[in-house]
Amino acid sequence: MTNGAHIQTIGVSHTYKGGGTRALGQIDLEICPGEALALIGRSGCGKSTLLHILSGLSLPTEGKVLVDGTRITEPSPSRIMMFQAPSLYPWMSVEQNVGLGLRFNGKMNEAGRRIPEVLELVELGDYAKRNVQDLSGGQQQRVALARSLALKPEVLLLDEPLSALDAFTRHALQRDIRRICKDLGITLVLVTHDINEAVMMADRALVMKADPGDIEAEIRIPISGDRLPSMAAFGDARRELVAAYEAAAGMAMAEAQSFIPQDSLNTPTPIDRLAAN
Amino acid sequence: MSQASPITTREAGFAPAYSPGSSKAFLSENMKSRIGGGLESLGYTLAGMVLLLAVWWLGGRMVAASDDLYAFADFAPVPTLIRLTDMIRTGEAFQITVPSLFRIASGLFWAIAIGVPVGILVGAIAGFRKLTNVPFQFLRMISPLSWMPIAVMAFATWEGAIVFLISVAAIWPVLFSTASGLRRIEPSWFKVARNLGARPWHMLFVIILPAISQDILSGIRLALGVAWIILVPAEYLGVTSGLGYAINDARDTLEYDRLAATVVIIGVIGFSLDSLLQLAIAKLSWLRSS
Ligand SMILES: Nc1ncnc2c1ncn2[C@@H]1O[C@H](COP(=O)(O)OP(=O)(O)OP(=O)(O)O)[C@@H](O)[C@H]1O
Ligand SMILES: [Mg+2]
Repeated sequence: MTNGAHIQTIGVSHTYKGGGTRALGQIDLEICPGEALALIGRSGCGKSTLLHILSGLSLPTEGKVLVDGTRITEPSPSRIMMFQAPSLYPWMSVEQNVGLGLRFNGKMNEAGRRIPEVLELVELGDYAKRNVQDLSGGQQQRVALARSLALKPEVLLLDEPLSALDAFTRHALQRDIRRICKDLGITLVLVTHDINEAVMMADRALVMKADPGDIEAEIRIPISGDRLPSMAAFGDARRELVAAYEAAAGMAMAEAQSFIPQDSLNTPTPIDRLAAN
Repeated sequence: MSQASPITTREAGFAPAYSPGSSKAFLSENMKSRIGGGLESLGYTLAGMVLLLAVWWLGGRMVAASDDLYAFADFAPVPTLIRLTDMIRTGEAFQITVPSLFRIASGLFWAIAIGVPVGILVGAIAGFRKLTNVPFQFLRMISPLSWMPIAVMAFATWEGAIVFLISVAAIWPVLFSTASGLRRIEPSWFKVARNLGARPWHMLFVIILPAISQDILSGIRLALGVAWIILVPAEYLGVTSGLGYAINDARDTLEYDRLAATVVIIGVIGFSLDSLLQLAIAKLSWLRSS
């Protein structure tokens, strides 16, 4: 449908007013149209800062961001950011939340067709009239996703949008978001702490390190179609990413090992477990 | 904003809607407990009214029994209530109330018209908040009635002076409540709206005002309470209508039953207006957990 945008950053660095340290060193990166990119790294390494700059919600202190060759200076409904909290408006129904972008951009004439369409896409077709406060966390995050998709964005920027969800919901949404973005050709940039999430969703992962925030390593994850933790290629990519992550974090192996199996995504589904026994 | 206590029962009523599969038994249990709670609170309300009447009646008996205070015996419930029904029948009650309600409405109108926009500015702009903090806190602490001489000089009519005094008293709760509501808005609500392409007027009417509607209404409710209190002394001023005037007039003519009946009218109307606003707050509230 839409064709995702091409994104390029040139010498982007950022220092927060008041905060002395540089949040971002010097970032030069290029993201292809329709690509799914994961930014991964420990807390405070500048992932959210970079994502805000890509969206145009913040401007870098130095350098510039080009989207399809044009320098961006402000946010745009064609580059939608999603946060850890769904940030829905609690006084509005599901469809009002989803239609908000259309309303702001004078496209309410499309709402009748577009809102059911995106709600169907996130499998919430029957929930249009509900108040968003009556939905579960996962459903709320789906509404936020539908709201982000309603304006047919070229870029989706996700800042740990799934980290508050339970393992199964998260897994389902990781799969769905990747599918939707691939189907619609949306360029996806995903910030996460979670290595499995990166391997689930991204074509490429950039490992960042802090002080100042910088890109330390680049791992390609060439798996086509839906991904499952049980795939061999999944395991390979994850091992590679873990190694890069540890190198960037300067963190002991034991810490990382206990960190991964605990992570629910890696837990075999009940059927897998039965098959193994 | 949590003064609107009825929200909790509303919330309880919403809980089952979340899982449509849950049995009907749970629903009816829930309704039963709601009806039970309603009866219980009605019981307390009635008991409270009886208690108030009892104290009033007892006070009346004591006044009547005292040699010094015998002249004030008409303050007691029976003469008062007889006079009150009389005043309602003749339309006098209505006649003295309407001008007062009109003044309250005008005063609140100005308090809201100025308090809400200024409150939004105070809440939204840190510089403006810091700049106005001292002046506003200072002005707020001045009893509205101390403006009386100035108001009388500044306004051509008594009417204008009274509305001014009510506005001066009522503006602060509206202003501060609006400002504090604005500061508690989730920052991500602004970010998301901006990202989705909201223009400034969208931000104001689609995001900010609905988000803080409850805070504004709570402020108005407090403002109404203050305005209602200021009203009576303000109407002691030159005007010849309204509840305050009626009280003064009844005192001058030594009609203590009329005086007491007017006091009852003031209480009943004030209480009703407050209840109406509380109802409006509960109705408009989008908050499920409060
Ligand atoms: N508003 C701010 N003002 C000053 N410093 C900030 C601000 N926001 C972030 N920082 C600093 O910038 C650096 C990068 O922060 P950022 O939020 O981008 O990290 P992150 O990688 O997203 O972390 P997390 O994984 O915890 O979300 C941190 O050192 C942080 O302390
Ligand atoms: Mg972050």
